[in-house]
Amino acid sequence: MYSFTEGFRQAFVLILHLDAQLIGIILLSLKVSGLALVIATVLGLPLGAVLGLTRFPGRGLAVSIMNTFMGLPPVVVGLFVYLLLSRKGPLGFLGLLYSPTAMIIAQTILAFPIVTALCRSAIVSVDLIIRQAAQTLGATRQQETLTIIREARFGILSAIIAAFGRVMAEVGAILIVGGNIAGYTRVMTTTIALETDKGNFELALALGFVLLSISFAINFVLLRVQQRSLGRTA
Amino acid sequence: MKLLASHIRKVYDEKPVLVDCSCEFADRNITVLMGRNGCGKSTFLRICALLEHADGGTVTYADADSVLPPDLALRRRITLVLPRIGVFNTTVSGNVAYGLMIRGVSRREIPRRVHNALAFVALEHKTEQRALTLSSGETQRLGIARALAIEPEILFLDEPTASVDEENTGIIESIILKMKEEMRTTVIMTTHDRDQAERVADELLYLKNGRLEALR
Amino acid sequence: MKKIFVLALLFTCMATAAFAETRIRMASTTSTQNSGLFDYLLPIFEKKTGIKIDVVAVGTGASIEIGKRGDADVVFVHAKEQELQAVQEGWFVNRHDVMYNDFVVIGPPTDPAKVTGMKSAADALKTIAASGSSFVSRGDKSGTHTKELSLWKKAGIEPAGQKWYLEAGQGMEKTQRIADEKRAYTLTDRGTWLATKDKDRLDMAIVLEGDPVLFNQYGVMAVNPEKHKHAKYKEAMEFVNWIISKDGQATLAAFKDKNGNALFIPNAK
Repeated sequence: MYSFTEGFRQAFVLILHLDAQLIGIILLSLKVSGLALVIATVLGLPLGAVLGLTRFPGRGLAVSIMNTFMGLPPVVVGLFVYLLLSRKGPLGFLGLLYSPTAMIIAQTILAFPIVTALCRSAIVSVDLIIRQAAQTLGATRQQETLTIIREARFGILSAIIAAFGRVMAEVGAILIVGGNIAGYTRVMTTTIALETDKGNFELALALGFVLLSISFAINFVLLRVQQRSLGRTA
Repeated sequence: MKLLASHIRKVYDEKPVLVDCSCEFADRNITVLMGRNGCGKSTFLRICALLEHADGGTVTYADADSVLPPDLALRRRITLVLPRIGVFNTTVSGNVAYGLMIRGVSRREIPRRVHNALAFVALEHKTEQRALTLSSGETQRLGIARALAIEPEILFLDEPTASVDEENTGIIESIILKMKEEMRTTVIMTTHDRDQAERVADELLYLKNGRLEALR
Repeated sequence: MKKIFVLALLFTCMATAAFAETRIRMASTTSTQNSGLFDYLLPIFEKKTGIKIDVVAVGTGASIEIGKRGDADVVFVHAKEQELQAVQEGWFVNRHDVMYNDFVVIGPPTDPAKVTGMKSAADALKTIAASGSSFVSRGDKSGTHTKELSLWKKAGIEPAGQKWYLEAGQGMEKTQRIADEKRAYTLTDRGTWLATKDKDRLDMAIVLEGDPVLFNQYGVMAVNPEKHKHAKYKEAMEFVNWIISKDGQATLAAFKDKNGNALFIPNAK
């Protein structure tokens, strides 16, 4: 039994001493969310460009669906992926449940609509005259698209950063599909949940501070990127 | 390269904007197209520049005696400078280099051609400045430099001085004249400024009620 | 008239207070909870005594901690050494053996480590460690976890940090499900196993049982009223005394899961 001040003190000790367990958990969080973001971006940026730049029947519906999925509750995604990957499920033969891979899959699903919808938004915000200018200067369709994407780069970067912040902070999806196994699928958010439940506040508090710091850093970078992009309006 | 527009017709929202426009544009001349605001000058220009399709009639480009197909190769021999310049979010030189980079011009060639184009419009002292911070007159000149860098055989200019102050208007007009002299580019432009037309035009066309009339 | 009304109101209030439900809190373990024992036992106790017991089910270590903090009135776990230690430190009083069940080792029905037929649990664990199959541990200082660690010690193996050793840090049912998904082995208590194997549709089987070291002793103890003045000692002792009485023990013995298995063997002295 100890007081909160004692818990805070021990938390800082863990942080300052770069406790191995702490570092391991933080690195796993960054790895899982980072990889999820990479995949979500590789899939979402092109899709966002297609939704923003081309016209096809059903585009409006596709955009609405993407926007709706931005708000997917993480636990629901976790449930869905769990049912998919469990041994009794359709992809059970892969044996992926309760592994970092399952966590990456779940977080990719969470991040993908965010990246897609926000990239589309950034691309649509690029003034039409940019597209026209590229055309007049002899750009092919692909070159034109790349030019627009380059013009939208700050908005796109904001989209990626925002999605990263979202998945770093979530616990519902990765708790369900990861199983919170020590040293294997335990990340910052799931460890905080577990350790608080067990009454081990020093590790939970330490991770809480680190997570808040990372969130703060992410939001700070996001703000700077948005400021730079605002400074460009002619 | 010769350009022939023949019986061009264009309808917007069931209203005919261009009824029957025909013109054979003389090589290496400055042709100025005039008309009231909204009469369809820009539309006609865009159709000639292969950026828009006509509802009737043909636009024909020909080299010596063979007709050129309207493919990417042809489109890259001409260019249109829009009334509002779509400035890319990079440096002035980055903007001017754009047309060269997409054509795959060698990296060693590019700085030279960029410099020449900027010098032509008197912007070479602003090479590394962020293009979005230019004044409106400078931006217009940037648009022209961007077009010149690719050394087009035919240059279309849509209202090049519409949103520009008097001083820059003068500068741009002298740039246009210089183009004809030094680069022997065919220039086809629109304006609603009668005096400007008088100052620069070799040939003067007037667009009225969807038809072209030659004034000079 | 008004006087009678006020008196009647007062009487009603007092009467209500006198017959008001008494509630106490018991800290126990998730495995005991999952076996369904409390759903069966506590209503019987409430009927007899009018005392309602709220169960907080966590790991053994956390249960004992909850008792030490005074957030419970009685503790019912299965970690005799830790219980006796806590009594010695003065946190609890009147500890008694109540019942026992046993632990079993479960694993994939195909038993890739070839453990079936072995007699010693420690040897079985040693074989699993060498086999390339994974082992899932509770990893949460529960009674099951404590037992498991003692087996590794006996086998002379240090499993912590090894790639095949997965520490769930969570309850028994979750740990079993992880083992099921990972086609791994784990140590579980028979009660949880029988209660959950069909419910969770586990594709697993008992590969080792019967080794005497696997016997799991349950104990009950009341929170020391001298440490925590507010603890409901009287009611807690009603439970303790009943559960070790002939009546209570018979009630325990009569508890069967839905397949008709007796999960616990009463052994209060």
